[in-house]
Amino acid sequence: MNLRRTEPGRVLLWLVCGALILFLVAPIVVVMITSFNASPYMDFPPRQLSLRWYQNFFTSAHWLEPALLSLQVALVVTAAATTLGTLAAIGIVRGRFRGRQALEMFFISPMVVPIVVLALGLFFLSSSAHLLDKPPALYLGHTLVATPLVIVLVGAGLRAADASLELAARSLGASYWRTLRHVTLPSIRESIAAAAIFSFLVSFDEVVIAIFVGGPDATTLPKRMWETIRFEIDPTLTAVSSVLTLVAIVVLVAAELLRRPAR
Amino acid sequence: MITPIEPVTTSRRVWRSREGLLVIPELLFYVIIYLYPLSRIGAWSFFDHGFTLKFYRELMGESEYYRALANTLEISLLTTALCLLLGYPLAYLMATTALRARRVLMILVLIPFWTSILVRTFAWIVILGNNGLLNKLLIGLGLTDAPVKLLFNMTGVQIGMVHVLLPFMVFPLLAAMSRIDSNILHVARSLGASPRRAFVHVFLPLSRPGIAAGCVLVFLLAVGFYVTPALLGGPGQITFATMIDMQINTFLNWGLAASLGVVLLVVVGGIFAVFSRLLNVGQWEREA
Repeated sequence: MNLRRTEPGRVLLWLVCGALILFLVAPIVVVMITSFNASPYMDFPPRQLSLRWYQNFFTSAHWLEPALLSLQVALVVTAAATTLGTLAAIGIVRGRFRGRQALEMFFISPMVVPIVVLALGLFFLSSSAHLLDKPPALYLGHTLVATPLVIVLVGAGLRAADASLELAARSLGASYWRTLRHVTLPSIRESIAAAAIFSFLVSFDEVVIAIFVGGPDATTLPKRMWETIRFEIDPTLTAVSSVLTLVAIVVLVAAELLRRPAR
Repeated sequence: MITPIEPVTTSRRVWRSREGLLVIPELLFYVIIYLYPLSRIGAWSFFDHGFTLKFYRELMGESEYYRALANTLEISLLTTALCLLLGYPLAYLMATTALRARRVLMILVLIPFWTSILVRTFAWIVILGNNGLLNKLLIGLGLTDAPVKLLFNMTGVQIGMVHVLLPFMVFPLLAAMSRIDSNILHVARSLGASPRRAFVHVFLPLSRPGIAAGCVLVFLLAVGFYVTPALLGGPGQITFATMIDMQINTFLNWGLAASLGVVLLVVVGGIFAVFSRLLNVGQWEREA
């Protein structure tokens, strides 16, 4: 489509898209820069620089405890969602039974159910199982949100992988489990790793379920941020925001590096 | 019919059927953590010491719920329209530019996409507030004397929602546009079509599946959206989602919250059932 490279319309298109990219990226950059303020008024650009909000984040239990809980929940969820989702994806893509497509739709469906509705259901479940305000409620809820993503990513990896290798292993006498462990799983290693990374991020950033099933004893970092934004804006939020953004960027780069050798 | 390869096909069938057993743990998990809680919502909405329709009668009877429904639909439709208007040029540029520029643009879309929604919503509070960056800029340029109200109203909600949902429009659009054979456009041009004519009569119709998928996806997500309307909206932007939270956490009216949840689920489920074929979940994931 080089035909239209030099046309004025093309220049206009680049200008419009430049503005759109600015719209998408600028807020994050502004918050990151604001976080280095010395004053509590969130000036932009900062008149005086300091790291006091970062110091506040990393030294006060008010912020650190929720951050550690989020980390703990995200690690449990990563393990659970990746295991459940990978097994289910193998079952759907390599298995052979009626209604596989319908089952895949069902497994992916939590992605389109409004998160508030999921959170409401989990709230009722947790209250009857006496799990409200306890970390297990968060493990379960976040795993439900993360598994559909694992199934999509690992399912795509499996469809791209060469199934005839598995057939060869089987016809050479490898048992069913041996084939799964030594042929199938290694061939989708990158997809599984990417799925694990994204599950971690989904859980680490999740807020709605955390609001509904968490309480004073199980407050995750996003829940603490939510309360702070709603009731008493605290400049520490700017430091927390830039740390979370950095986590997202690191995760994105890691996932991209994992995907590249697969191509 | 007996053929020499019959033993292989038989063993293959056995192998495949056993792989299917791997869905069982996930299935059990979904029954307990997904279906059972959803059924509890239904139960709370229909029972209060015996079967009752009082929660639904309350929903139908009071105008504040109609207003919440109208707000939800208004916000969702406007967000979808804005996302299409803004997402189309962006996806078009990405689909038609050189690979390297496309990759850079993709990264610039993906970084905000994977950044926490709370972080992005908070960023808009910092920027759009009365003493925020944008108002300072407007006053500094002499465009306005007093700060413009950009937060806790429809403007704030729209800015925040479009910011969060724009990538969900761009990915399906880009997937559809990447499937368009660029030779068709070259043919149209060489047959004498102006660039505009080639775009309107060739490219635009061919990108229609992406438009449909993107609009359904964005609308679906917008209808259930909670964080942004709650933080950037005012009393005029109370939606079904924020209403559910208020019923649970403020008014402690579980039955009413449940009936709101059922209505929301029916609306979203209905849209999904009708349009799911357009969505092709996973397709754009791979392109991205």
